Amino acid sequence: MDLIATFPSSQAALGAEQALKGEATPVELIPVPRQIRSDCGFCLLVQGAEGACERLRACGAQELWRVTATQAGPSSRKVYSYERYP
Amino acid sequence: MNDTRRTVDARGQACPQPVILTRKALAEGGFDLLEVLVDDASSLENVVRFVGYAKCAVEAVETEGTTSRILIRPAPPAPATAEPRVFATPGPAPAPAPAPQPATVFIASAGIGAGDDQLAALLMRAFLYTLTESETLPMRIILMNGGVRLAVEGSESLVNLRRLAERGVEILACGTCLEFYQLKDALAVGRVSNMYEIAGLLLQGRTLSL
Repeated sequence: MDLIATFPSSQAALGAEQALKGEATPVELIPVPRQIRSDCGFCLLVQGAEGACERLRACGAQELWRVTATQAGPSSRKVYSYERYP
Repeated sequence: MNDTRRTVDARGQACPQPVILTRKALAEGGFDLLEVLVDDASSLENVVRFVGYAKCAVEAVETEGTTSRILIRPAPPAPATAEPRVFATPGPAPAPAPAPQPATVFIASAGIGAGDDQLAALLMRAFLYTLTESETLPMRIILMNGGVRLAVEGSESLVNLRRLAERGVEILACGTCLEFYQLKDALAVGRVSNMYEIAGLLLQGRTLSL
């Protein structure tokens, strides 16, 4: 399960990325998807996020969103949808 | 029907060169069928995957020993979207044609904009990430001065440059700059280029400078 974690500020997201770097769950700092927020900002994309929720909240995560990627074929563009988690 | 055929021999070339050569040939056009020769399994996989991204069709893959021959039919050109002329009451003027996509993205520093270095670095990371999610990609990214830092081991943007390289975007890093920063051996994606090549490409136009 992939999650997006949003933070009160981009700085907070950056801080969380630094804190979580090197831990078992891979995190990536990416721009907040437009479906979640329209203003610019950064969030964390956490892959295989089972069990990472506590850790993310401890690092200041405000909202968690589950990411679903659908793809028409192996080389088609991925389409992402997001829903609040839990 | 006699299909004209162009052959790209990418045997012996390291990834992602076969993808880049395929992409260049498809961009040039002038043939009905493109035949790409590769001699390793991951190049075969990468070229086939790229053909899907490029919305072209793999007609056949023939393997003989270690060599695979990939036959690609380019996508038909998009139909012209000219409005039919109807002699009725005059309507609004037709919209101007959109500007052509940049072929080259020119990155001359490790961040975007001036003001705060940390923000500049973040913006560059965001831009390159967003580029990986983009439907149309430039043919190449040219890195100069601080920009070469993006392509070396340890760069936060390395993962995104690699994703772009896999999709056929050529990454060119200025050799003089790498040498100046003593990073020549640390280049982790793309290849070393020089001012002649870089200037020539920039002068072709259709460049986006960051």
